[in-house]
Amino acid sequence: MITSTLNISSNTEKLNAVREFISIAAHNFGFDDETASKISLAVDEACTNIIKHAYEYAPNKELEIKVLTNKQQFEVIITHQGKLLDPKLIKTPDMKEYLVHPRRGGLGIHLMRLLMDSVEYKIRDDKKCEVHLMKKISTAVG
Amino acid sequence: MVIKEKMENDIAVLNLKGDLLGEPDTTTLRDKIHSLVGDEVKKVVIDLGGVNYMNSSGLGTLISTLTTMRNAEGELKLARVGKKVQNLFIITQLVKVFDTYETVDRATASFSAKKK
Repeated sequence: MITSTLNISSNTEKLNAVREFISIAAHNFGFDDETASKISLAVDEACTNIIKHAYEYAPNKELEIKVLTNKQQFEVIITHQGKLLDPKLIKTPDMKEYLVHPRRGGLGIHLMRLLMDSVEYKIRDDKKCEVHLMKKISTAVG
Repeated sequence: MVIKEKMENDIAVLNLKGDLLGEPDTTTLRDKIHSLVGDEVKKVVIDLGGVNYMNSSGLGTLISTLTTMRNAEGELKLARVGKKVQNLFIITQLVKVFDTYETVDRATASFSAKKK
């Protein structure tokens, strides 16, 4: 298991650094440019949701972005101490309906689910929250 | 992000340069489209050649601009969509929703082609 970690403050201006960190890790893992770009975007969306909804834009809160890899899969775990995000409360948008009545938000989690093989939300015993995003090497093209 | 506006006859061409990620850029683009609709411009081309990166917020804004134009009985075309953005359209199936063209000229010509 190979691990690398990036810590950032809860500021959307830090997301460039997150995308670059994930892109480098994904390329090192062996993903092509397209897949690395998709994973970077999914992690960007996850961090954006945490900053907006879990921390409600409070500055100087912490996010830890950890990459765990083995031969089969590339996993990103984002840890924060904000409010637990419950993805069950966020419906996958019906794009036909969305086009008639577009609203701000709602697309980010939908995109994360489309871009990754799995997206899970967990709460640890120490009350810290985690978002797990996983991509398997065999489905990297999808 | 920088938006440059150019009128070609009755067609507004908006050239976007920079990443389309969120505020204030998304509001700027929405306001620009509402302003054009207010001026009764019915044909708009958004040139995405200068946009390398877009997230869900940018995508939502493009959907919103399309809806604004349709509600005003206008049309929106997209030109020079980059590979990363095109991939997003494919993943979200929005590729079926947006009219996209390889060049701005082809996008503007498509309005007159429809008239015939």
